[in-house]
Amino acid sequence: MREVVKTGLILFIFTLAAGLILGLVYSITSPQIANAELNFKLSSIKEVMTDPVTGELLIPQKDIPKTLEELNQKVFMSDDSGVLYTSSRYGGKVHSPAYLFTSRDGKKIYVLEGSAIGYGGSVVCVAAFVKEEDGFKLNALRVTSYSQETPGLGAKIGEKEVMERFYPVPPEALEKGLKVNKDAGVVPVEDPEKMKYLREHEGVIQTSDIMTGATLTPRAVVNTINTMYEFLRGEVNE
Amino acid sequence: MSELRNFTKGFVKENPTFVQALGMCPTLATTTSAVNGLGMGLATLSVLTLSNIVVSLIRKFVPEKIRIPIYIVVIASFVTIVDLVMHAFTYQLWRTLGLFIPLIVVNCIILGRAEAFASKNGVFASFLDGLGMGLGFTASLVLLGSVRELLGSGTIFGLPVWGKAFNVFAMILPPGAYIALGMLAGLFSFIGIKRRERQKAKSASEKVKA
Repeated sequence: MREVVKTGLILFIFTLAAGLILGLVYSITSPQIANAELNFKLSSIKEVMTDPVTGELLIPQKDIPKTLEELNQKVFMSDDSGVLYTSSRYGGKVHSPAYLFTSRDGKKIYVLEGSAIGYGGSVVCVAAFVKEEDGFKLNALRVTSYSQETPGLGAKIGEKEVMERFYPVPPEALEKGLKVNKDAGVVPVEDPEKMKYLREHEGVIQTSDIMTGATLTPRAVVNTINTMYEFLRGEVNE
Repeated sequence: MSELRNFTKGFVKENPTFVQALGMCPTLATTTSAVNGLGMGLATLSVLTLSNIVVSLIRKFVPEKIRIPIYIVVIASFVTIVDLVMHAFTYQLWRTLGLFIPLIVVNCIILGRAEAFASKNGVFASFLDGLGMGLGFTASLVLLGSVRELLGSGTIFGLPVWGKAFNVFAMILPPGAYIALGMLAGLFSFIGIKRRERQKAKSASEKVKA
């Protein structure tokens, strides 16, 4: 009996010491972690509000949020559940909160975060949509979390060259609903102009040539974009 | 001399991956490219060295019956600390390697060295053992990652070596991991056999001379 108590006590002391040390490390690192996460979010938001053709910011430099307070001022819709909209058609989600900015020429820019299921889990994207006369235009997009995708296959979605295949998309193509070229039955083309034409007129996103063997991951991104568009058309369009 | 051997035995003779066949789960899962292998190897190296030092320090206070749970507590604490510190101070690196860090807890090299070496030896010897084994593991992962990346994507550390036409897609997938690991383990055991033969021949010729 004494032996059992003694052993239990020793184990207790070790776990207690480990718990205290971990608590200390956590309290030292948690503000830094929150800061690093925020900076990453702010830089993604800035990137999606940059014109992919000219490389210029759509909004004045001074309007780019630099702190959490500044970012919170741009919230136009939020929900405590963390989800603003779920699409039954595409299986994607729009996360809370959604942000609204105003461009240099007075257009509304909606910055949304959303996700859909890829090969291994959630693939999260941040995207900016510009309100044009004839509807919403996808300006740019960043895939911000894809940790469950296979390295060398689906994880290529995080490369700039791959992400650039998804934008810009005019309202006309978004209205039709985006598709990856495999689902649309389109054979990969090599000419970049043709690729652009297919994306901007037919809503066909070609990735099968640069991420061979991974269909589920780009499909998740396309589903997220479609869900965001559905959300904007249904909940925001007045 | 024996201290130097504590350090170098992990490189080839007792190489954790190819000779001891320890830590197969992270080895197979993370070696799709050389960079991933390097990252996983370095993260393991730091946890292994730190846990070896602590296990050696506390070896006299740990009762025989509960040594395994205590070693696990020590290892899991270090893994969590490495994860938190990397998340806070090296965010970009953490985003690339974040997935692998929790995997270190289940890496049996660390528990294996704690049990087989650090719990029976002094702090300095345990430190050298951890460092040597960690470097051996890192080198093995980089080697395996380079082979798979070269055959699968035609690059090493992202630098192109040859055209896309030579790529064997399966090398990035799990079957490629098993094939490459088997070939390299075979190579290491071939080196071991050759070494022993040479030593035998040497001692035989010495006997003849005598």
